Amino acid sequence: MKVFRSHLLLCGGTGCHATGSLKVKKALLAELDKRGLSDEIKVVETGCNGFCAMGPIMVVYPDGIVYMLIKPEDIPELVEEHLIKGRPLERLLYKEPVTEEVIPTMQEIPFFAHQELRVLRNRGLIDPEKIDEYIARDGYAGMAKALTEMTPEEIVKTVLDSGLRGRGGAGFPAGLKWQFAARSKGDVKYVLCNADEGDPGAFMDRSVLEADPHAVLEGMVIAARAIGSHYGYIYCRAEYPLAIQRLNIAIDQAKEYGLLGENILDTGFDFDLEVYQGAGAFVCGEETALMTSIEGKRGMPRPRPPFPAISGLWQKPSILNNVETLANIGQIILNGSEWYAGIGTERSKGTKVFALTGDVNNVGLVEVPMGTTLGTIVYDIGGGIPKGKKFKAVQLGGPSGGMLPVQHLNAGVDYETVAELGAIMGSGGMIAMNEDMCPVDMARFFMDFCQDESCGKCTPCREGTKRMLEILTNICEGRGQEGDLDLLEEMADTIKDSALCGLGQTAPNPVLSTIRYFRDEYEAHIKDKRCPAAVCTALFKSPCQHTCPVEMDIPSYIALVQAERFEDAYKILLRTNPFPAVCGRVCDHKCQSKCRRETLDEPIAIKFLKRFITDNASRPGVDAVPVTRKEKIAVIGAGPAGLTAARDLASRGYKVVVFEELPEAGGMLRYGIPAYRLPRNILAGEIDDISALGVEIRCNTRVGRNVSFETVNEEFDYIYLASGAHKSQKMGVEGEDMDGVFGGVEFLRDFNINEDAWLSGEKTLGSRVAVIGGGNSAIDAARCAVRLGADVTILYRRLRQDMPAAEEEIQAAEHEGIKIEYLVAPTNITGENGKVSGITCQRMELGDFDRSGRKRPVAIEGSEFTLSVDAVIAAIGQTPDVSFVPEDSGVSINKWSCFDLADGSKSQTTDAGFFAGGDAVTGPDTVIEAIAAGHQAAQDIDQTIRDKNGEPPYEAPPEEEIDIPLMIEEETEERPQARMPELDALSRKNNLTEVELGFSKEEAIKEAIRCLRCDAEI
Amino acid sequence: MKAENDDLLKEFTPEQIAELDGIIERHKGEPGALIPVLEEAQMALGYLPVPVQKRIAGGLNLPLSRVYGVVTFYSFFTMTPRGKHICRICLGTACYVRGGKKIAETLEKELGIKEGETTPDRMFTYESVRCLGACGLAPVVVVNEDVHGRVKAAKIKEMLSEYN
Amino acid sequence: MAKIKIEDLKKIKDKVKAETSLRAGERRVKVTVHMGTCGIASGAREVLDTLISEIEEAGVTDVVATTSGCMGLCSREPEITVEIMEQEPIIYEYMDTNKMRQVFRRHILKGEVQTPFVLAKGAERTK
Repeated sequence: MKVFRSHLLLCGGTGCHATGSLKVKKALLAELDKRGLSDEIKVVETGCNGFCAMGPIMVVYPDGIVYMLIKPEDIPELVEEHLIKGRPLERLLYKEPVTEEVIPTMQEIPFFAHQELRVLRNRGLIDPEKIDEYIARDGYAGMAKALTEMTPEEIVKTVLDSGLRGRGGAGFPAGLKWQFAARSKGDVKYVLCNADEGDPGAFMDRSVLEADPHAVLEGMVIAARAIGSHYGYIYCRAEYPLAIQRLNIAIDQAKEYGLLGENILDTGFDFDLEVYQGAGAFVCGEETALMTSIEGKRGMPRPRPPFPAISGLWQKPSILNNVETLANIGQIILNGSEWYAGIGTERSKGTKVFALTGDVNNVGLVEVPMGTTLGTIVYDIGGGIPKGKKFKAVQLGGPSGGMLPVQHLNAGVDYETVAELGAIMGSGGMIAMNEDMCPVDMARFFMDFCQDESCGKCTPCREGTKRMLEILTNICEGRGQEGDLDLLEEMADTIKDSALCGLGQTAPNPVLSTIRYFRDEYEAHIKDKRCPAAVCTALFKSPCQHTCPVEMDIPSYIALVQAERFEDAYKILLRTNPFPAVCGRVCDHKCQSKCRRETLDEPIAIKFLKRFITDNASRPGVDAVPVTRKEKIAVIGAGPAGLTAARDLASRGYKVVVFEELPEAGGMLRYGIPAYRLPRNILAGEIDDISALGVEIRCNTRVGRNVSFETVNEEFDYIYLASGAHKSQKMGVEGEDMDGVFGGVEFLRDFNINEDAWLSGEKTLGSRVAVIGGGNSAIDAARCAVRLGADVTILYRRLRQDMPAAEEEIQAAEHEGIKIEYLVAPTNITGENGKVSGITCQRMELGDFDRSGRKRPVAIEGSEFTLSVDAVIAAIGQTPDVSFVPEDSGVSINKWSCFDLADGSKSQTTDAGFFAGGDAVTGPDTVIEAIAAGHQAAQDIDQTIRDKNGEPPYEAPPEEEIDIPLMIEEETEERPQARMPELDALSRKNNLTEVELGFSKEEAIKEAIRCLRCDAEI
Repeated sequence: MKAENDDLLKEFTPEQIAELDGIIERHKGEPGALIPVLEEAQMALGYLPVPVQKRIAGGLNLPLSRVYGVVTFYSFFTMTPRGKHICRICLGTACYVRGGKKIAETLEKELGIKEGETTPDRMFTYESVRCLGACGLAPVVVVNEDVHGRVKAAKIKEMLSEYN
Repeated sequence: MAKIKIEDLKKIKDKVKAETSLRAGERRVKVTVHMGTCGIASGAREVLDTLISEIEEAGVTDVVATTSGCMGLCSREPEITVEIMEQEPIIYEYMDTNKMRQVFRRHILKGEVQTPFVLAKGAERTK
């Protein structure tokens, strides 16, 4: 092996990459080579060390010197000084802040602050292989008290009074179990400890055994004394070698001290025990199966009664307690039952240890008082969900348990509440799952587990789990049928009632729980053959395509970018999306949130690549489609939904007329989104193509004003209502009607219609502007106001991470100098002579969780303050204006002023002649959802017509064959997403020039190469 | 007895057989001795084919059916020889949630075998396990004694190449 | 050690307290490497080895290395606790051999807390 005298560890995390660590590395390697040091000094690229703000960072070993904010031009000096002359380069050294003060205490770290340590009280403090250290922390004091000062009856009573319930899962009172066994006749009795922690995702018991084995031994001796036993077993799974090793060391030491064995502590009481190594069978966690296993047989459960307290191991009275239960006993005896029952809830006392894992930032072992809310555990202790994903549910109780979904974050976790919500406490495995979890797949996973682990003794469990697994697998693979859910529920009930042991009785729980909370996702699998979380791979080619509402063929166009076949890529885009150039700029790119590349580093920049294609390939020509069908269709509203429907219908040979109130087509794309995000010519180009097909767009024509609703209804056979949501919601505060107070969309519309008047100063907001809200409209309004020279403050009632606006938009706003005040809500608007002059706000604090999983803002009394402003823009939400539809039309409108759809239809209203879609149905949503709605409506309208005429369904003309190359990088190296080049903040601040500049050809191809091609079958 | 010994000698050395007999001898007469004997025997021999089971059944004075029943019941025991390297993927819930499924697919592809199988050159045995309790490092792959935490599918090939 | 009686439990407690308290000259620093399965899997054993060899190499006698179970925060393993006489304990996270070397040379020997690697200071409350 080569020996290097020094190692240079250069951080290669995303943050450091972004600040130029690659260039530094290059310069460093070149310099080392130049100096002939390549054989002596090794450069290693490391993962992120979390200090991104100071990057690029380099650590020099063995000296341990940290350099920060290195630039390539520093390298020659650094090599000269440090590596040749051996003198640290002072000017690049990390200046440690006045150290002690900035380091948080354990109590300031939420992970530790919310915990209450009883079972885990010795964690990290004692050496588990030294019995003296355990004794020094009052170890074996409880046992000494039990053996010398208490009768067996008093021990049982203390445990009973403490309210301690079995921590293995079922929650049976521990004291009661002991009482039964104590009253059983017989001189041979057994105390058993269940350390067969087979529940996947649970490691509480392992951790206790590894960190504090004597606590379990102490608990067992006390239990033995209480029931009159002299021998015990610890049944521990073979997968825990370290736990077994430490247990054996602990047993030897305790025996040496006379704390186990004959005449314990000279009291005349005898108790000995041994560790029995399980051989890997989940069912052995069940008490009767565990006993059968110790007897050396196949570990199958047996019917109860007789209960083990009467006839257990080798037909002798036995008690079985779990590790955590026993680890509590010493402290309960020492401190008394009242001390123990002092925390917890009415019927669940003390603390519970959870193994918190899955999609949380802090994975670990957590001990909290019973009744601690789920939100506290997931968000405060667990630190929330990584990568900004949304929390979906936790699985509690493993394969026997159920899910607690986002709407129950306020639930206090104790035995009763958890059962009410359809889960079980279980042994304490708590697995957090984010939006990428598919509940059907999870149910299948757990059923697969139970089916695999079923011992086969009783029919309901052996056959029932198998059959349920078949149904779930079918659903996951696209073979689900109507009625499957009823069948699953029926079988679940039967198995629950008739299985012999706990494994079978609880096996259906995950299925029932997921159906209870996620029925819609089951139905999406069964009816639409869609997996909304993009997990069930049998249902799709690639997760990105499946997640896109119009299912754009993303892997194909990315492959074509890589192959530099941009024209072909453009054709692929247009197959599913009439607005690729628009979407390449303003799409919310749900596709990227499911990109598998993210598990390696970051998702592919799908949106930017789409834009690249439309910027760099020539636009495929469009020919008019002759009208071949007799039915005429009117579309009301020339936004993305209406225009998409019009395009599809015109392509199918229909005469389509689009009515638009405003002077130009585009809807929100034209009048909501400012030109610096979406240049007018880009939008106009895509709309021109739709006109070129033969679609007639009548602007400046509001139905109900410029032309009557009745006239349109008479002239056309079908009408598509796609009028959008163009009315701002009111804030409901005093002074809202004053001059200078604008609704968000109303301001944007005015601004976008009268750009020249606004930019020339003919129209003005004044010099200080407050924008209320946290969505994209709020950010758009704020960024427009900045371009008018105003000093802008956004007021938002929650925190930044709760803002619905896209993160990149928020950042851009900040770069442009917009201030954002969080946790603030307006209470009233003040003014003089009917013109606004100030806005009074209240500060908010975060309370409990709402159904979306965000903390609810609650006003702080007496925190009012007033900002003096010249204008207020309230962008807190939008509603449709559907007043153009007469009340007697038969089209029903719901309480959110949106069109209702007929049952079972995705676009037809309650009047069969009218279809509706886009924001006018859903309320404000994204461009791509509106496009999807437009496609749906066109298909439904055409199908309705064909059904009526007795014609066969529409068949699309064959598409041009475009062969998709498959080139995959052999050695995938970690490389973050390419950044979009932007105009700098200063040069964009006072004009409407497009901010994002687009990828160069080299950048685009390099980015396209990152695609992992999930669609490819190799 | 002779034929039985021959069967054993096909697979194991006389030293190994002596070790097996020693294990049986040590536990003979203990209540519930069978499982500990099988555990130790597997440690010593690597796997538990029928001739070994016969030897144990005879030694502990149990019917072979009982021994066979126990061997096939517990996942810890195996009746087939195993590879030089044991590659185990954790498919506990935490690992599954963190992408274990994709890792499993990649491993199958790279090794060219299904779960529970051994490569023809007896280099790798590929198994899945239900939770190793190292959920903090999910997803986890264990090769022999080495725990590989936070495994990424794209890095599997590199990981396996460390073993030969 | 012979079998003990009840009164011996208190003696052992006092003895351990006396032995483990930090004093100038003898035991100035105690370093605990947290070694549960998670910690070991993420490299705690290598960290402990490094610590021991650093102690030997430096020839110091007033630094003791000890081990203990999991601290509970598995996702930041390996973790170590450095207790220096009359100072609050400092818990380091994501340790590796290089960082251990750095903590030993600069914190334990020179008293400069290596802030970038620190998780927290102090101890958990137990009630």
